[in-house]
Amino acid sequence: MFAHAYTILAIVVVVFLIAKMRLSTELSMLASAAAAGLYHTFAWPASGLGIFTLENSLVRHIVEGMFTYFDVCLIFISATFFMTLVKESGGVAFIVRRIVEGFRTRRAVCLLLLTLVMLIPGALTGSGATAVLTVGGLVGAVLSAMGVDDTRKTAAIFMTAAMSAAAPPINLWAMMAAAGANLPYVGFNGPLAVLSVSGALFSMFWLAGRGEGIMDENQAMKTLPSPPEGMNAFRVAAPFVFLAVLVLAGRIWPFDFPIIGLPMIFMLSSAVVLLCSPVRLKAWTVLTRTVHNLLPLVGIMIVVGALIQILALSGARGLISLEVVILPLSTLFATLFIILPISEGILQYAVAPLLGVPLIMLFNMKGMDAIVALSAMAVLWPLGDCLPPTAVVGRAAVLELGFKGRYFGDFVKVCLVPMLFVAFCCTLFLIYSKQLSFLAF
Amino acid sequence: MDKTNKIKAGALLVSIVLAAAGGAEFYAMRGYKEAMVLGPSVVEVRKLSQYEPSLAGTANDANIYILDSSVPGGTVMILGGTHPEEPVGPIAAHILVENARLEAGRLVVVSRANRSGSLYSRNGEAYPNYFHVETEWGEKKWRLGDRAASPLDSWPDPEVYVHYPSRQMLAYMDIRNLNRAWPGRPQGLLVERTTHGLMEFIRREKVDMLIDLHEAELEYPVENTIVAHENGQEIAAMASMMLTAQEFPVPIGVEFSPKALHGLTHREVGDHSDARSLLFEVAEPMLDRIRGVTDERLLMEGKDEFVMEAGKHKLLYAPMDENGWPIEVRVGRHLSTILQCIDVFNMMIPDRPVTVAGIPRYAEVVEKKLGYLFRDPSKAPADKVAYD
Repeated sequence: MFAHAYTILAIVVVVFLIAKMRLSTELSMLASAAAAGLYHTFAWPASGLGIFTLENSLVRHIVEGMFTYFDVCLIFISATFFMTLVKESGGVAFIVRRIVEGFRTRRAVCLLLLTLVMLIPGALTGSGATAVLTVGGLVGAVLSAMGVDDTRKTAAIFMTAAMSAAAPPINLWAMMAAAGANLPYVGFNGPLAVLSVSGALFSMFWLAGRGEGIMDENQAMKTLPSPPEGMNAFRVAAPFVFLAVLVLAGRIWPFDFPIIGLPMIFMLSSAVVLLCSPVRLKAWTVLTRTVHNLLPLVGIMIVVGALIQILALSGARGLISLEVVILPLSTLFATLFIILPISEGILQYAVAPLLGVPLIMLFNMKGMDAIVALSAMAVLWPLGDCLPPTAVVGRAAVLELGFKGRYFGDFVKVCLVPMLFVAFCCTLFLIYSKQLSFLAF
Repeated sequence: MDKTNKIKAGALLVSIVLAAAGGAEFYAMRGYKEAMVLGPSVVEVRKLSQYEPSLAGTANDANIYILDSSVPGGTVMILGGTHPEEPVGPIAAHILVENARLEAGRLVVVSRANRSGSLYSRNGEAYPNYFHVETEWGEKKWRLGDRAASPLDSWPDPEVYVHYPSRQMLAYMDIRNLNRAWPGRPQGLLVERTTHGLMEFIRREKVDMLIDLHEAELEYPVENTIVAHENGQEIAAMASMMLTAQEFPVPIGVEFSPKALHGLTHREVGDHSDARSLLFEVAEPMLDRIRGVTDERLLMEGKDEFVMEAGKHKLLYAPMDENGWPIEVRVGRHLSTILQCIDVFNMMIPDRPVTVAGIPRYAEVVEKKLGYLFRDPSKAPADKVAYD
């Protein structure tokens, strides 16, 4: 069984690497899943698996696996649609201009509020790319006006976007890993908030904190788009208040309030954006564009489900889990801060069920607090979103802000100090998870 | 059509063919009916919708098999299929319904407490859709299924599942998990209504003891044990002592139902009715994440090299060797534990006796396997066969 599982893993890696030379990450992953599944079907006849049968087919496993994160995909798409509408309505521009008008002479407050603006989209959608695409450009423009150079500005946008993806309530890595380990996604808000907010604030202040206290308001306003006529605080706040009311009502009156699910909550909140927008928004166009933009990430979540199912079917998932759970804890503590971001760069969200689940099991067995430990891992993973081969959020930040410098030599290098700060905090949370369990309320 | 569009059209066509092929298997599973031959003591098969009318026509309108001795006594109720991915529950339920002879009191059996969960497989886990037991007349076949009800029958999930009535917050998907939804409520989602119907049955029919049959991964600390509500602790403790001393090579323990953990049978049934509430656990290696190849053989034979390796590193809560945890061992343990708990119940509450004959104990099941315990539905009169 060991030899079989190692062979499956080798096939997955080799086929992925070969396919990656010509195909996208998600298609390469699908090719590796199909190849591993085919090998397992023929090399392990005792399972009685066929390619097409009505009782036990490889095809069924691939199709079934693809639906593993169906709900997560719906939440992801609907939340991003909501945030994109807020941006299109001029709401984001309105908020950012207000921050500049009100706090241009107080750099620290200004940076604090800009960090908050960066955190919201990712916290609601679980996606750093969404944070970059919806508010990154505007926040970047303000940072330029504050005298922050292009490299540090791009790094600040990336780091805060990465932390926003990790911020609660929606952290896709924690959700996917918790679901795989039968661990309720409850109690994560505290540890995720502490780590992601402190990481975002440190990053923003480290990268943009130095400089003149007073920014050139004219220059800032010139670079920021004007919100449409009629936009005001009520119109911006109403959709967010409506969203919060729907979420809180389900918690406060759980036995009287209808259960409509998070995707519908985001869609209804999107309808409120449409109603409140002072300009007529083309909802269908925004929706199709949102889906189109998210296809690579949704594709990864769909394909990774199929890959995980094939790995589970063939025993390779069990082998990975076994190899992880027998590792000494000290080794993990000393290496996870490197392993997790690198694996994220290679596999994106796929790492959460693949590595996260066995690690949760190990932490449980060792008497650690699984919620705090998983939260720490779920903040480490998005650091890898600027690393190859995927580098989704890093590339998005570079493109959105028109960064012309060297990707690794300038941009990634400047990110290193904030990354090390986040990695250090997360490692402390891992080591002292039991003592920090009070955060998991 | 340019090259890109040709590739897209081809990809779409392949996707449709694969989805149709996968869907056909899924559809076949959803439509498969498990035949139950009604044994000598079955006097009635009721529907759960008699106790919660909103369940009529839903996937969870389960059969309730009533075995009656017509001799006055108590009532013991057995739940199988709370978690459909744990096959010992439905197997033990079939053995009881097809073979038990009641000599006093009543035995009530539900084979598919959360039937919806048995109608689809668990995404990402690569479970087989069915499992089979060899018999003299052919193969007896069951659906396996997921731990929770199918999203086709209960969707969407809430943002957070707030348990009724404790208001304890649980993971959103646990609103479809039967063993997190007790005591249920009539206005709730499907599984909450299911547990409400079962609670209504327990209260109206004055069930004296409820037994919920489960299996657990070896990495899980609540293993090979009876979890008991305060009102069932004496029965559980006595049964555990006797079984460990006289029958089981691997001891069976007792755990007290945590008062702060809500939604589970062993807590809520005891809190919201007069029934003594017990939950049985036995080791099932296929539920372990560190398992090897996932197939029906692992499910039924319970042997796995990877789980064994984890045992060598002291990572398991149950012993694991090359003999594994075969289905006969697991079913035999549950059957003996049921019979032993009923015996202890009879000792403690002699004025409400429940006497069950015709059910083999652990040693016999391990020796003779399971096949001989099932009747051929094709040979039984039509009115003596029910379908789950």
